[in-house]
Amino acid sequence: MSVRDRGGVRSLDRAGVEGDDPSSVGASTKANRRWPGRGGRERLAPGAVPAPAGARRQRLSRRIIVPGLFIAPVVVYAVVFFAYPLVFGFMMSFEKFGFSQLVHGSGPFFGIGNYRAALSDPVTITAIRNTVIFTVASVSLQVGIGLAVAVLLNRPFLLSNLLRRLVLIPWLIPLLATGTVFTLLFGDQDGFINMLLQHLGLISSPIAWLIDARPAIIAIIIVNIWAGLPFNVIVLYSGLQDIDGIFYEAAVIDGAGPWQRFRKITLPMLRPVMLIVVMLGIIATVKVFDLVIVMTNGGPNNTTQLLSTWAYTQAFTNFNFGEGAAIGNILLVVSAIIAVFYLRSLRKEA
Amino acid sequence: MVQVAQPQASSYRRPGRVRSRLVRRVPREILLNAVGILVIGTLIFPVYWALCVALQSDPDALIKAPSLFPVHLVLSNFQTALNTEGGNILTSLIISVAVVALGLLVGVPAAYALRRFRVRYTGAVIGSLLVTQMVPSIALSIAFYSLFKDAHLLNSYVGLILADSTYAVPLMVLLLRAFLESLPGELMESARVDGCSELRCLISVVVPVAIPGIVTASLFGFLGAWGDFLFGLTLNSGGKVQPVTLGLFKFVGTYSTSWGPLMATVILAAIPAAIVLSVGQRWIRGGLRAGALKG
Repeated sequence: MSVRDRGGVRSLDRAGVEGDDPSSVGASTKANRRWPGRGGRERLAPGAVPAPAGARRQRLSRRIIVPGLFIAPVVVYAVVFFAYPLVFGFMMSFEKFGFSQLVHGSGPFFGIGNYRAALSDPVTITAIRNTVIFTVASVSLQVGIGLAVAVLLNRPFLLSNLLRRLVLIPWLIPLLATGTVFTLLFGDQDGFINMLLQHLGLISSPIAWLIDARPAIIAIIIVNIWAGLPFNVIVLYSGLQDIDGIFYEAAVIDGAGPWQRFRKITLPMLRPVMLIVVMLGIIATVKVFDLVIVMTNGGPNNTTQLLSTWAYTQAFTNFNFGEGAAIGNILLVVSAIIAVFYLRSLRKEA
Repeated sequence: MVQVAQPQASSYRRPGRVRSRLVRRVPREILLNAVGILVIGTLIFPVYWALCVALQSDPDALIKAPSLFPVHLVLSNFQTALNTEGGNILTSLIISVAVVALGLLVGVPAAYALRRFRVRYTGAVIGSLLVTQMVPSIALSIAFYSLFKDAHLLNSYVGLILADSTYAVPLMVLLLRAFLESLPGELMESARVDGCSELRCLISVVVPVAIPGIVTASLFGFLGAWGDFLFGLTLNSGGKVQPVTLGLFKFVGTYSTSWGPLMATVILAAIPAAIVLSVGQRWIRGGLRAGALKG
């Protein structure tokens, strides 16, 4: 079928649709622009010019029923496994929902009692602060270091191939297992990291990494960066590969130095990819749970709780499901705010 | 000026400058490799250290007096780990494979339809799938706990498969769709013109071409389910069906100082993912590239 034939079919098809079904004009013209040939052979049959009822029914089935059948499973899935639990959790957060309410699946109405209890608890405030610090620090450093490594990989040198393969390793290990390994490395007084830092003369006495609140948060951030680096590097590296070398050549001819080329070519052209990486980084980091549970379990004295672990503690350790659900919803709001804020600042920068 | 090694730029050089370029290139090569080694070392060391500790009969001695190349390697810790965690590894494997199967079953037709038909709700479906990615699993698990208790799905394979699928299904649909976007529309069109039904067109034309995307999406689904700890912890309710992450966590709680078997378990927990990745690596770059960048 030649291109010209397709063009003819398209205009015919569009005219027919616009004539008999004004409501679908937008969708169908858009569709036709994408696929000029859609409609196939039957459209060319004699008598197709004023679309007969049969063809119209066929088109209806093509346009609504068939896509519907293909998409329905995922829509049902999203409703059953996301929308319904979220609504259920939302209801739960307004109920006095303890262990004994599990039998009925609902508890007495409690108004905003759970939210008031949660927000008046200093641990929740600490958890909100920790979540924000943890997310902002992890994502910025992860993307920054990831970009540096990606730029390094983008240059040919002896070990670059090996590095490109090995960079995936942290990704293979379940986050909980990663946390376990780093618990050993950060250790007590004689952990490997303390020994290394002392050996290098960076610290004079061992740091109680996982015992004091501040070092513990720093340790957890470091581990999270380590675990998240592979994804950032791969995606940013792919982004770098997509930048046409011709821009750099032109810049070299114009006498731009390496830093200028990075600032004026690499960064702007990488912006779409950066946006994606930052967004996905936030989404993944806000939810982090495993690392804290295994490394500090929220301690000492609840000072390293994140919203995720605090919601868990309230729901599954203290069996206060109502307040747990309320904290879970607060987490949802916080992650939305961080995402919006981050994307805004990135957009402004450019 | 040498930093950008563009073939076109370097192929046209005057003979007299070759030497000076070489002189400048050698230190740069050394520097790049040194930084490379530093990066590789940082990324690999924790895993290497876990392996070293796992291979010691007296791990504490190595931890107290670290050595990069320990001697007297034994496999007994792996034996212990396999005895206690072997069943859990199998559980994790069953769950992860089932999650991937569910993801493909739901995801492939949906991704195809989203790519193939520009219906008005396409944007809404994709948007809501993106939003599901932001939902914290802990919020879901609190609701799931109550719902699953009613449905008798706590401490069951089905329950964990369904819960873990929330990591995988939306992501797999998004990745698959993004990959299909990178395929030319004519491909599907030509099959339709030849008189295939949509289902035939999907199975015999689109799926074979979309293998890189399918492999990448499956890999992400597998790794998501394999690494799950949260649902395993919360929906297990003290029962026998526990994934390897939960087993490891309980191990930490009970024998927090027996680092040998613990690190052996860590290594064992990484092996299936390593196998899956090395098998899929051939496809993953293309798949990820299309999936992540053109999403």
